[in-house]
Amino acid sequence: MKTLYFLAILLSATLSTSAQTMLAGRVTDQKGHALPGANVFLRGTYDGANTDSTGSFKFASSRQDTATLMVSYIGYESYSKKITLAANSPILVRLTETANELNTVVITAGSFEASDERRMTMLKPMDIVTTAGAGADITAAMNLLPGTQRVGEQTGLFVRGGSSEEAKVVIDGMIVQNPYFSSMPGLQSRGRFQPFMFKGTSFSTGGYSAQYGQALSSVLLLNTVDKTQNEGLSLSLNLANAALSYDHATEKSSVSATAYYGNLKPLFALVRQNIDWTHVPEFAGSSLTYRLQPTKTGMLKFYGMYSDSRLGMNFVDPSNETGKTAFRQQNRNFFTTSTYTDSWADGRWLLHSGLSYSYDTDATTFSAQNFGRSSERLQARAVLTRLLPGNNSFLFGTEGSRVTYQNAVSGTQYALHDNYGALFAESQTYLGRNLAVQLGLRGEYSSVINRFNLAPRLSMAYKTGVYSQVSLAYGQFYQTPDYRYLYRNENLNYERADHLILNYQLIKDKRTFRIETFYKNYAQLVREFTSQPGMPNYYDANPYRFPWGRTDNSGNGYAKGFDVFWRDQKSIRGLDYWVTYSYVDTKRLFQQYPVAATPTFISNHNISLIGKRYFDKISTSMGLTYTISSGRPYYNPNNELFLADRTPVVNNLSFSASHITRIKKNMVVLYATVDNILNTHNVYTYQYTPDAKTRYAVGPQSYRSFFVGGMIMLSKKAKVNVNEL
Amino acid sequence: MKTLIISIAVAVATSVSAQAQSDQYKQAMGQALNTMQSHNEKSSTADLMASANQFERIAGVESNQWLPRYYAGLNYVYLGFLGKDEADKDKYLDQADVNLKAAEAVSPNNDELTILKAYIAQARMAVDPMNRWQQYGPLFQSALAKAKSLNVENPRAYVLEGSSLMYTPEQFGGGPGAACPVLKQANEKFASFKPASEFSPTWGQKQMEPLLAKCPK
Repeated sequence: MKTLYFLAILLSATLSTSAQTMLAGRVTDQKGHALPGANVFLRGTYDGANTDSTGSFKFASSRQDTATLMVSYIGYESYSKKITLAANSPILVRLTETANELNTVVITAGSFEASDERRMTMLKPMDIVTTAGAGADITAAMNLLPGTQRVGEQTGLFVRGGSSEEAKVVIDGMIVQNPYFSSMPGLQSRGRFQPFMFKGTSFSTGGYSAQYGQALSSVLLLNTVDKTQNEGLSLSLNLANAALSYDHATEKSSVSATAYYGNLKPLFALVRQNIDWTHVPEFAGSSLTYRLQPTKTGMLKFYGMYSDSRLGMNFVDPSNETGKTAFRQQNRNFFTTSTYTDSWADGRWLLHSGLSYSYDTDATTFSAQNFGRSSERLQARAVLTRLLPGNNSFLFGTEGSRVTYQNAVSGTQYALHDNYGALFAESQTYLGRNLAVQLGLRGEYSSVINRFNLAPRLSMAYKTGVYSQVSLAYGQFYQTPDYRYLYRNENLNYERADHLILNYQLIKDKRTFRIETFYKNYAQLVREFTSQPGMPNYYDANPYRFPWGRTDNSGNGYAKGFDVFWRDQKSIRGLDYWVTYSYVDTKRLFQQYPVAATPTFISNHNISLIGKRYFDKISTSMGLTYTISSGRPYYNPNNELFLADRTPVVNNLSFSASHITRIKKNMVVLYATVDNILNTHNVYTYQYTPDAKTRYAVGPQSYRSFFVGGMIMLSKKAKVNVNEL
Repeated sequence: MKTLIISIAVAVATSVSAQAQSDQYKQAMGQALNTMQSHNEKSSTADLMASANQFERIAGVESNQWLPRYYAGLNYVYLGFLGKDEADKDKYLDQADVNLKAAEAVSPNNDELTILKAYIAQARMAVDPMNRWQQYGPLFQSALAKAKSLNVENPRAYVLEGSSLMYTPEQFGGGPGAACPVLKQANEKFASFKPASEFSPTWGQKQMEPLLAKCPK
């Protein structure tokens, strides 16, 4: 009896293993091309095989009746299907490619990304630091990208016909009130932020997301790193400043602290200055970054910085009888921002939130008269994103800020408060892998002018081939008028710009080609009517003038053009080069312009050629940058036609090199740059004396100049890869 | 009586099938490891992929075993070095990550898996060193440090560290001077290292030999 039971069980077991079914078939992609090396198997069993070079497979299974056939292949969606094992017909499986950067369209119109997160970007964060002529300044590097203007004597970004006030700098979603060191008459100032703080940069030349507002031309989005990249102490010393920084990271948190002191005396002693300095620029500051990962998905970042700078000069001032005016300035700047990001439900819900505060004050005197000014900004922001299947997503958010401006002008103290609030929503929809549509809406309110606006945004992209795509962007953008106008007239309306952008790009095998064309319509621009007795069309060319006249929103204008980008990291071994060309045609009736004219900050043609190469044997990296900008309009009181004269072409060839070595087991980086190798005496603009008889040329602070410096990492843990520079 | 017989029969039958499965696992792993060991640096991507597939098939059945996932991941790391371009290499390394994650879920705080994590980071870095050292360099270092803290005797942590140092130029703190002591350490650890089970990882010594040959005796 017992044995019988046993026998029965054993028998049935052996019987089942002997009954084998053969499975055979073929695995292809959607187009019917064979996929060799695909994994074909029955779920929950060892039975399976790999496809051969023709995509065919064959294997035996002892399973009876039905089973689940699974097919997986790297880069393709895995396939599963219930099958009946008795059937002898061959099995045909067609796999679908998984969505990835190569086969899915990306919306790119108007944006230029430098990030490590997205693999298919035209620039990497490192490119910003290693470009000759950029001096490791983020803004200077952006000025070599298509769509920008190089305006040598002014600070900021000038994008596609826009003035520097139309471009905003945003760090982790928060607008930075004073992204540059305070401007000096006729001189360009650097950005305040170190490029190494950021893991990603997205430079938008128009048509940007509804997440951002208050910028008619451009937003520069900077995203801070999540973790410190060095460890320990490092010391840097160059002709202008000395800095000490300390980085420390644990598994959950990291901290970076920097302190610096700078003085341009040593540099100016060596490089001939075109400026009459009365107090050579001197600056000191410190910053602290703290990052904490309190949970697996949450990330808290805090950044705080303080800087103090002072300088004095006698600048060229044609309106003064001596031809010079004394200028002194002391700037104090404090900026702090903290952000918290988190995600829930396996990353389907994402939160980005932040709080920031900044304070900036300039104690400025023009020929001993007080022109002191200050600004203060408190802002908060929160954005919730919902990720949906098939790459689709929806986001909505809000931001608010309170800004206070103060300015002393000719003994009068002006002050202004603005409470600003915005709501925005945006959806991203993929209609297959080849077509993506992004639809956004932004509503804003500004208390100082007591007005609302509602701005729609639309972007689309279509994949035209494996490596190419076209994108289109349209949007409306509003900006509260410059506070200097608002001091005297709070009844002004928003200024407005409409963008239309068409873009084509091809990225293949380390070569990138991109062409973009745009049309921008300006409306409701602020105009100022300067009524001077006996001079109906009086135009005050003084760039530091205060707008005293009557103002309204009757201004308008347009900007149109195209730009081209070509980068090649492949054709010549070891050499990485890129070329950009931008063309812009623009006219505006704004400020105190009597007629529509091309603004003084516009050059129609801008070209930059950038090349770099790493020389292995001497562990040195070298780069060259050549830039050409066509002439800009300047005001000539002797010419009846307004802004009809053009300055000469500006060109500049610059060189940079960096060398890595080791001194007593500490890594040392040495660098040297030469700006304007050809010693071209560039002229940025001309200024006339009030009698219109004499003109002064405004040029760079120095012609040919050089800079050297070095950095030492006083830490055994500080390791850097060979290709760092 | 009947119930007793049936319950005994069922008990026997399940233990038999459990035994059979384990035998099947052993057989499959033995076979898969044999195939994998027949590969070398000249093997085609198809061969390595076949190996990875084989381990993934075993992993599909033996969901409580970390080793099939580990070997599948290891094969994808090799593929990550072999891929034809950046996107291709990343595709393989993404799959290495998938396997690593699945294995870590079965066996957390496992020194061999932590070493695999470092290996993946190294392969990611090798795809585009100029732009990736910042991101993956620290990841590689911290994974190695963790592996050593989990098991200071595991020679493979030292193999990865030593080979990485060997290929790093001297001015960055690499070169034979820095690499050789670590490689020698690895060699010593191999002498006393005993794999935990018959399928436990044993790779490393052979890969290290050509590097060790560059070191002063």
